[in-house]
Amino acid sequence: MPSITSFNLAHVHLLLNHVPTIGSVVALGLLIVAFIRRDEGLKLVGLEVVFAIALLTLPAYMTGVAAFQKLRGQPGVSDTAIRLHQDVALFGFTWMEFAGFIAWVALWNARRHGRAARGLVVTATVLLIVAFAVMARAANLGGDIRHPELGGATATIDSAEFLASKINDVMVNSPWAWPASETVHFLGLSLSFGVLLAINLRILGAMKRVAFADVHRLLPWGMLGFGLNLITGMLFFVGQPKQYIDSAPFYWKIVFLMIAGANFLYLTVFRKAWADTRGVWTATGADKMMAFVSMFAWLAALYCGRMLPFIGHSF
Amino acid sequence: MGLLVWLESLPLSVWVHESPSVWAQPTVLTLHTMGMAVLVGASWMLDLRLLGISRGIPLSAFRWVFRAVAISLAVNLVTGVLLFMARATLWGTALPFLLKILLVVASAATLLPIRTYVLQSDPEQRDVSSRAKMLAMISIAAWAAAITAGRLLAYTVAG
Repeated sequence: MPSITSFNLAHVHLLLNHVPTIGSVVALGLLIVAFIRRDEGLKLVGLEVVFAIALLTLPAYMTGVAAFQKLRGQPGVSDTAIRLHQDVALFGFTWMEFAGFIAWVALWNARRHGRAARGLVVTATVLLIVAFAVMARAANLGGDIRHPELGGATATIDSAEFLASKINDVMVNSPWAWPASETVHFLGLSLSFGVLLAINLRILGAMKRVAFADVHRLLPWGMLGFGLNLITGMLFFVGQPKQYIDSAPFYWKIVFLMIAGANFLYLTVFRKAWADTRGVWTATGADKMMAFVSMFAWLAALYCGRMLPFIGHSF
Repeated sequence: MGLLVWLESLPLSVWVHESPSVWAQPTVLTLHTMGMAVLVGASWMLDLRLLGISRGIPLSAFRWVFRAVAISLAVNLVTGVLLFMARATLWGTALPFLLKILLVVASAATLLPIRTYVLQSDPEQRDVSSRAKMLAMISIAAWAAAITAGRLLAYTVAG
């Protein structure tokens, strides 16, 4: 099997780095048109796009860190310019994840109440605008890395000032930060796993008499676990990027997380199952396939994560 | 101590500990983690229901939890014993390890009265007694403590 890291991750970054900016413009366009036309369905589409962008921003950031290692020390490449770009991107990432989270809450809520709550849609839109603004600045700074002739200012900044450096310092030097984050990561994965197990077992036929709406009620707990693991996972990655950026199981883990995330969105907005309120809905073959894919993706992500020290070279 | 040395010297123990194969220590450890996710995840789902999340689901619909718990508990017992054997002299003499085992036993023990309660509930029963709620809270906290203790073993004993 050719290793996933034999892809040129710098090229993957050049592809994915357009998602947070261009994707945000598309999502904003959809949301604004939806507001003007008072089109509830289009609002939901806009929110789904925001969630998808938030997911893809994760590999966009991570491949960027990998690209940094490749470019480092090459003539004409300013270390400070890259670090500045990376740090602004980290802020942009954080805003984007907030936007994606609120978009998800709005979608979950909309599935339960028939329409998206105005306050949630507005909040998601505002967060998206902030994320877009920060990401646009990150993109601009990214352009300066290879095209200083376009007039980007290369300020001299003490590298200890960067957020990434501060996180790195705490994660490496604090005796409890890494163990505590790992513990939370394990608690979070168990919580997510329990929720996904319950919902997928319902789809596969256990708890047949239960209405899908009732297991759908558990999804926010899965999101809580997912959120805890996104935060602690990012602390590991930003804290010790070298452990991960050329580790094959790590990139597979991200691939499986993207599948799991897409499936999570699917379960949130699952229309056919939702229509059933009496517990008589029976899953079709395609639905069951989806449940299998879901469980497989979560197990595979866990497998890749736990195997990082063995088939990768972390720690 | 003699018993621990003997356990550790068994061919199976040596294989788990020393084999470079991905099927040795790495796979055993990963299966242990997967078992943990199912075991704790399924227990927590029932605990959350007992505490009032997703009230629409009758308690009797949660029977699958006990099957999931039984399977994952079996997987983790086998993998746990293998991991213990591989480094019996280390784990067998470490107080934090004993603490973890006690927490796992305590967490699993909370499932017994919960199981009796759920299996004896009426098919359509949705109300939960305050005693069962108390048990659910203890169960959530005990599993969280067990995971915390287990994870910290890598830093306190094996580190």
